Amino acid sequence: MNEELGIILETTSKILNKHVGHKLRQNIDNNNSDLINLWSEIEQLGLPKIAVKDKFNGSSLPLSTTLPIIKLSNNIGAPIPLSETILSNYILSESDINPPSGIITYAIDVKNLKIIGNEISGELISVPYLNLTNKVVVITEIEKTKKVILIKNSGKDKELKKNFLSEPRYNLKLNKCKILDMKPINLRINFKHLGAIVRSAQMIGSMEKILDLCIDYCSQRKQFGRALSKFQAIQHQISEMAVELSASSAALSTITNSDDFYKNKKDIAILKIRAGVAAGKVIAISHQVHGAIGFTQEYELAYFTRNLNSWRNDFGNESYWEDLLGKDFLENNNQNLWEYLT
Amino acid sequence: MSKFNFPSIKETNDLSNLRKEVRNFITTSLNHKEFEPSADAWVFSASPEFSKKLGSMGWLGMSFPKKYGGNERTALERYVVTEELLASGAPVAAHWIADRQSGSQILRYGNEEQKKSIIPKITAGECFFAIGMSEPDSGSDLASVKTKATKIENGWKLEGRKIWSTGAHIANYMIVLVRTSPASENNRHEGLSQFLVDLSLPNVSVKGIPDMTGQRHFNETLFDNVILSEDALLGVEGKGWSQVVGELALERSGPERFLSHFTLLESFINEFKNILIKSGSKLIGKLIAELQTLRRMSFSIASMLQNGESPETQAAFVKELGNKFEKTMVETLREFSNIIPLYEWPSQLQNLFEDATLRIPSNSLRGGTTEIMKGIIARQLGLR
Repeated sequence: MNEELGIILETTSKILNKHVGHKLRQNIDNNNSDLINLWSEIEQLGLPKIAVKDKFNGSSLPLSTTLPIIKLSNNIGAPIPLSETILSNYILSESDINPPSGIITYAIDVKNLKIIGNEISGELISVPYLNLTNKVVVITEIEKTKKVILIKNSGKDKELKKNFLSEPRYNLKLNKCKILDMKPINLRINFKHLGAIVRSAQMIGSMEKILDLCIDYCSQRKQFGRALSKFQAIQHQISEMAVELSASSAALSTITNSDDFYKNKKDIAILKIRAGVAAGKVIAISHQVHGAIGFTQEYELAYFTRNLNSWRNDFGNESYWEDLLGKDFLENNNQNLWEYLT
Repeated sequence: MSKFNFPSIKETNDLSNLRKEVRNFITTSLNHKEFEPSADAWVFSASPEFSKKLGSMGWLGMSFPKKYGGNERTALERYVVTEELLASGAPVAAHWIADRQSGSQILRYGNEEQKKSIIPKITAGECFFAIGMSEPDSGSDLASVKTKATKIENGWKLEGRKIWSTGAHIANYMIVLVRTSPASENNRHEGLSQFLVDLSLPNVSVKGIPDMTGQRHFNETLFDNVILSEDALLGVEGKGWSQVVGELALERSGPERFLSHFTLLESFINEFKNILIKSGSKLIGKLIAELQTLRRMSFSIASMLQNGESPETQAAFVKELGNKFEKTMVETLREFSNIIPLYEWPSQLQNLFEDATLRIPSNSLRGGTTEIMKGIIARQLGLR
């Protein structure tokens, strides 16, 4: 297993490093042939269906395997919907729907959704990468049952959202859009939990990159006659980033190492809180030590920090998970704190 | 960043059983009123009787070799025992330093005679240690120590002062960092050595320094031409710096870096659970997340130590984060006093809170200041 994962990671890294540069990130669109080429190599490698069941022609690897791959992809800063496609395909496969090929995205926030016969109407909110695909998995509750709904839409009523993110998100109005398939969700799976884990892994991959950017920049940039990295004030700020990052990585390794990691609500909460807190500090410090250049589009720091801003709010921000974790302990346990922790 | 990984280590059933065993032991001791839980117990609360009892249970010097009276258990088992003791606020200060670092230091660098004569006593909870690093003119800049040992016939002559040595007034020995030869121009770390000093020797005087809370744990120790035998040298002459760096990893990475005031948090929650359910779940959730992360990191370091690694940088991470957590925890409780005024808290809880408030600043000093921790990390990042 580990050996297989090692090979996948190495190949993924080669493909991403070959294609991804800062220029690629500035044109995330179907007309960007470099981006399309990159995706087709990713698809050839089988990553989109890595956690999909055999019977749907997937690799059937445990979802935890995908975390290091997704983390790597965001460490390199690949502007592709890899995590979205992997998660969408996984939830389809687990809910016994055959995942389509190509890029696919998901919608979890919806407004006024109505299903009449085989058609769906309403609005999907903040759907990632809708400009690269017309296939969407809608995960929502219909008549008190959680459903997984696969649709294909013309995309003519989509509206680009202004958001924190470097990657595109859209609101999409559906008017009697045809449903390709609809099934009750596999109740073993909580999509919010999965999303929180995956976004945390993405944040950690990005923060590792940001730390490297800060170290490189401060080692090269000279002011007052010496490299910025020689100033103790700068060293201490960057050290603080490393401390935050190491704590988040420790929380992630707990999740990747647990057997049925998506059921482990406590550790998921801890991970999303820890990564979210770290992201806040890493954004602030990395921009501080970079000065004005970090605040431009031409330099790559902002690509990573903008994503962090968005991901720390996806699938529950720190407050959401802190409240949930606190209540889990205070309400549902007759244990004292130490018993709860151990 | 890969060198700063904290691999996740699972607690096995054996470890969980050990945890239960220690917990039962503590409950029994509490029922027999053998101790009163206190904050910062590993610094302030010394009970040689309790230490001896732990020794008889096999919970001191746990990982030491059997031939020196040890128990040959793992660093992870030791971790579990220390966690349980800290979380209950048990009086562990007497043996803490001997068990945490001095014993390991002797096993690693000491000669056969030193091991045979001292290790069994540490394991039995009958021999206590103090740290001899800081001096009146050497704090964070440890390499600037001036205490010196000069070679004489059949031994060494020791002169100088050590300061801030917690528990030196009840300790039997101190591992003292001294200069044995002048620093070379470009390497101040050369020429330092460690000595194993029996504090009952003539010309050693230990004087207490009350800390800001009025309690005594700090000491200043004067070595006024103390005559040491040849075998008082610990390890290799001139290699004291690299020896002391390893010792500091043991000192910085343990659960005392975030569990020193755990009894306060737990008593607070037990007292105000009903109010916290309504308006404090977010605050408690935040503390749980941080505390649990720290436990994982520190446990991971215990496993690195078990594998013979020297996780000095990882230890700095835990110390830095642990200090911050304890500050945040006390602040969180302080803000809660807006809802229930402090004077309405049960008196024992008030005491724990006030003690913690006063003692918190010392957490980020002992074992190295925040500035030193950040410096260590910066060096590893290639910034220095």
